Amino acid sequence: MRVLVVEDFEVLARSIGTGLRREGMAVDVVLDGTDALDRLAVTRYEVVILDRDLPGVHGDEICRRLANDRCDVRVLMLTAADTIEDRVKGLGLGADDYLPKPFAFAELVARVRALARRATPPLPPTLSCGDITLDPARRAAFRAGRRLELSPKEFALLECLLGSPGLVLPAEELLERVWDEAADPFTSAVKHTMHRLRAKLGDPPVIETIREGGYRIGPL
Amino acid sequence: MTNPQPLPRRSLQARLALSYAAGIYGAGIVVLAIVTVPLAGIQSTTPAHSSAPATVTGTGDGIGPHQLLVGSAIALAILIPIALAAGWFVAGRFLRPVRAITATATAISAGNLHQRLNLGEPADELTELGYILDDLFARLEASFDAHRHFVANASHELRTPLAGLRTLLEVALADPDADADTLRSACQEALALGEHQERLIQALLALATSERGLTRRDTLDLAQVATGVLASRRDQATRRGIVLTEHLAPVVTAGDPRLIESLITNLIDNAIRHNYPDGHVEITTQASGTEATLTVINSGPVIPDNQIQRLFQPFQKLAPDRHSRRDGYGLGLAIVNAVAQAHHATLTTSARLEGGLAITVRFAHPSHPNPHSHRP
Repeated sequence: MRVLVVEDFEVLARSIGTGLRREGMAVDVVLDGTDALDRLAVTRYEVVILDRDLPGVHGDEICRRLANDRCDVRVLMLTAADTIEDRVKGLGLGADDYLPKPFAFAELVARVRALARRATPPLPPTLSCGDITLDPARRAAFRAGRRLELSPKEFALLECLLGSPGLVLPAEELLERVWDEAADPFTSAVKHTMHRLRAKLGDPPVIETIREGGYRIGPL
Repeated sequence: MTNPQPLPRRSLQARLALSYAAGIYGAGIVVLAIVTVPLAGIQSTTPAHSSAPATVTGTGDGIGPHQLLVGSAIALAILIPIALAAGWFVAGRFLRPVRAITATATAISAGNLHQRLNLGEPADELTELGYILDDLFARLEASFDAHRHFVANASHELRTPLAGLRTLLEVALADPDADADTLRSACQEALALGEHQERLIQALLALATSERGLTRRDTLDLAQVATGVLASRRDQATRRGIVLTEHLAPVVTAGDPRLIESLITNLIDNAIRHNYPDGHVEITTQASGTEATLTVINSGPVIPDNQIQRLFQPFQKLAPDRHSRRDGYGLGLAIVNAVAQAHHATLTTSARLEGGLAITVRFAHPSHPNPHSHRP
């Protein structure tokens, strides 16, 4: 899952980034509105965590533009203004959720996951295909009742594939959705992680490699 | 207050009605007295001379003074309810606009401060009252707006570092691979955030204290206070490569030493913070006429003239950038403004053409307190 954190208070932005990465998300962090718009123009994020009072371009304006573009990105507004009017206004601008500061980190994670689930088409809280099940909130994956010990990247790859059962996902798309900007930007990373994931999933093989196409899980 | 009783609310109308009625009634009695007393005089003198007067009136028995008195008494009795009713009616007419003002004012004070009575230009006593009340509401609204704005900003400035602190610690503690080093660095960051909060709260308290006004008035030397502040800021300026120049002539004024120190500290901090690396700050104290002046001039980015007043509002920063976020709160010049006002000092600010600001504070000489000087 690819997440963009836009927050001008550096310690907070950095801590959210670290915490969400540990939850297996691919997180980019920017400190002002202008940078945020640049990133949003080139990368397909699933969730944006957006502070309202931003230097550069105001958070409200970013939210309005995202809503106008009808992007499928979900916006979680994060702000110190917590009166009911503020919340109503924020949601009215097109935000999908609103979390006042200060917040509990566990709640932030839960809300980000809930937003990602509302992707089109809506995803169930637990993903499954054949004898494989994956619970994003508990960060647990099972094959035939056996728990799989996956690294965060392997877990995220499997989550992506299970989220689009039967569809071919190109390596470039997997790279964009699972790895953040800090990572090595080559599809070989996808290849290596996929190799380890397949080994951990065991037999019979479930992930198909489509030549010149990408990867697929589940029936056609 | 929430349970208005109709009787007391109409008491002014009742009193007015009674006084009008009493007036009418009194006038009636006076008229009767004027008519009756001469008649009684005629009555007592005429029988001695002749019986002619009976024929003079030509009405046989006629209306004797006795009947006149009885008739007058009946008329006076009838006059009582008429006078009361007329009084009640007239008083009600005059009091109607007052009642309208009361109703509107009640609605306004209940929370619609943007509403106005709008009785028009002052033409009589009541429209003048409405005009004064409208003016009062306008000033109250501005003050409440400023207050709301301040609280919203203060809550933002306080909650964001708090959220940062909490997330930092939660994420650090939840790290499964945490070791002494990662925890130590998290603690150091938490401490730094704590200091940041402490400075912000100090600044907020300084602002609140200076807005409260002066509680003491000691004679002090501006140059001496400035020397103390400069000594504590020299390291910081050197780190940023900023040259501090001082021209400090001893000059006395009267005021609260802690507030004046806070004013000078904020002026110098502001001058160092919004400056270029290798820039300069120049501090001058001198006596000019009966005034003691303090001038702080700094190099820095060019500031548009129309932005200067905004700088003195709490939490206003020019072009907020992420680098100034950590050390500036947008409170410094608001504190300077509040302290200057508390001392009735004149604050003059000009944006320099080559960039940066020149701020002059003129304090009254201790022997010439000048409470009527106004800020520009």
